[in-house]
Amino acid sequence: MRYFNLYSSILITKGANRILVSDLQRNNSELQSLELCEIIDEFKTNSIEEVFAFYDDESKEIAQEYLDFLLEKEYGFVTAGDWDRNFAPLSLEYVDYSEISNLFMERNELAIPKNLIQSIDNLQISHLVIFCKGKASLEDFLKLEKDFENSTIESLEVFAPYQTEIDEAFIQHLSQNASRIYNLVFYNCEKEPFKVENTFKFELLFTQQNLKINSCGKVDLKYFDTNIKKVLEAINHNSCLNKKIGIDAEGNIKNCPAMLQSFGNINETSLEDVLLQQNFTNYWNLTKDDINVCKHCEFRNVCTDCRAFTEQTHINKEGLDVSKPLKCGYDPYTNQWDEWSTNPLKQKAIQNYSL
Amino acid sequence: MILILSSNLEPTTNEVLMWLNKMNKSYIRVHEDEFFEIKIINKKFFLESYRNSFFLEDISSVWYRRGGGLKFKRETYKNPAVNLNMNEAYHWLEDYVIKKLESKKHINKQRNSKLNKLLVLEEAQKVGLLVPKYFLAENTDDVIINKMITKSYTENIILEAVNENYDGILYTAVVAEHEKKPFFPTFFQDKIEKEYEIRSFYLDGKIWSTAIISQNDKQTKTDYRKYNVQTPNRNVPYNLPPEIEICLTKLFQVLDVNCGSADFIKGKDGKFYFLEINPLGQFLGLSSICNYSLDKEIAQFL
Ligand code: SF4
Ligand code: SF4
Repeated sequence: MRYFNLYSSILITKGANRILVSDLQRNNSELQSLELCEIIDEFKTNSIEEVFAFYDDESKEIAQEYLDFLLEKEYGFVTAGDWDRNFAPLSLEYVDYSEISNLFMERNELAIPKNLIQSIDNLQISHLVIFCKGKASLEDFLKLEKDFENSTIESLEVFAPYQTEIDEAFIQHLSQNASRIYNLVFYNCEKEPFKVENTFKFELLFTQQNLKINSCGKVDLKYFDTNIKKVLEAINHNSCLNKKIGIDAEGNIKNCPAMLQSFGNINETSLEDVLLQQNFTNYWNLTKDDINVCKHCEFRNVCTDCRAFTEQTHINKEGLDVSKPLKCGYDPYTNQWDEWSTNPLKQKAIQNYSL
Repeated sequence: MILILSSNLEPTTNEVLMWLNKMNKSYIRVHEDEFFEIKIINKKFFLESYRNSFFLEDISSVWYRRGGGLKFKRETYKNPAVNLNMNEAYHWLEDYVIKKLESKKHINKQRNSKLNKLLVLEEAQKVGLLVPKYFLAENTDDVIINKMITKSYTENIILEAVNENYDGILYTAVVAEHEKKPFFPTFFQDKIEKEYEIRSFYLDGKIWSTAIISQNDKQTKTDYRKYNVQTPNRNVPYNLPPEIEICLTKLFQVLDVNCGSADFIKGKDGKFYFLEINPLGQFLGLSSICNYSLDKEIAQFL
């Protein structure tokens, strides 16, 4: 007898009509049929010969095709006599040393106040995203890099409005002097000031879009990311808000700058103190399994769970918004992707957010 | 206070330090280019370098990671007789410091960070592990072509990869033809028809294993370490059979090494063959693929 052993790094997420097969070692995912999921389940408790015997001749061929597919993709392997029982399951626990991993700030200017820099250091934050509403000069950017020179910040992502001062020399200079900026987006830019080639230390984008803080939260296939750490985080925590702090343009400390609830203002309280408030972490442990519709979606372990913009239909016992993200046009029951912004059922929520 | 001896940019050390921060454990990180002066302050041993200083008695545990261990500053004296004398005095002071540090809770020791691969194979057999048949020879007279491999018994050669701060790993190669001329004593070993390889990380009696499956892939048939970038080997969590784990634990104890990685082959014959132990290897890559959090385990132990 031969046996099929599924590698434990292959994670299968069952949706209403399909499955997503995620290869957590090779960082990719693909959509497959529920039928494949069923046959994998059968292989878990039966030998290959036994599974084939369940089927009539025609279906047997399909079963064989599925097995060939699994082997070709190296999702598993075949053993004789028994399953190889030394292969162990993958722990789905999420383990991480950071208290706060991510700070997302909306700012009127790029400069960061001193006390905030100190807090960032105390909390050992590694990733900083700044959405800047006002113009940012080359000096501002260089100052930003300098401010975090000896900090725990490893990566900086900046969104800033385009202004005519920004040309190739500006970017060249910045690239030569930047070590933490890894993504730079200039919005409201009618025409690229020069042809962007891949020669800078960071990713660079000029976009015509007039971005706002409420442009965030769009759900799309192209944003899905199969990465063992992100997937394990999504299984155990909120995939957007876990270990995140947000600060809006007025200095209000929030879970995300686009959310309403404020836990204090940076002029009056510190990030460290806000973290001590019990309510601050309420959303951190809300997983997609709790979210309306998403809980039946095959993408739930690779998708970002926006809590700032939702369909505003469901509140759970703890008072947390468990509605589906507003900016998702996917329907896991029909497997159709539609434009979310024109969906009639979403219009009320869209108006509420004045999007 | 934890004393960590490592090379400057070593990534594994950085990760462990982040955990120590989280656990509020204080530490001193010593770089490879750091030299210490031994002083006595208030009758206590005090060590000082250009960037660190500490009382010997304040050190509670030591992690010997990389960089050749603690190094000392010595004065030289013009008078050769005095110099000789002073050198001996230095020697005993340094010896005291090193032995004192080794007597504390530690992960590996300065003295046996480098293992003699030939002795390890002998000890492995003594504790009951199966080792593929091997011999040293200066010619290929007894080598069966295509059935034996040759491997280095020296310390791993460090190939500085361009953008990684990791060690290179030696490849094993099958002997495909006889050499006419004699050569320097070389290590030959039976080639095991393998199902897969296993790398086991050992720390103070606990073992975390990863199966490394490369057999499907012709390019990586002899040694999984010849990476095939397109389809990397399959690396998944694995448990060695308990009897093998017991033998491996014994082996680490006999060698007086309490942390390291051991390599095995699971043969087509179903047997587990022990290959070697590397006390200082990189393990965080496999640790994150298997979600073992070994950086956290190390921080907890210290
Ligand atoms: S909650 Fe929504 S708006 Fe806020 S950061 Fe996450 S995705 Fe963006
Ligand atoms: S937001 Fe929900 S429904 Fe939309 S793709 Fe993500 S998990 Fe699926």
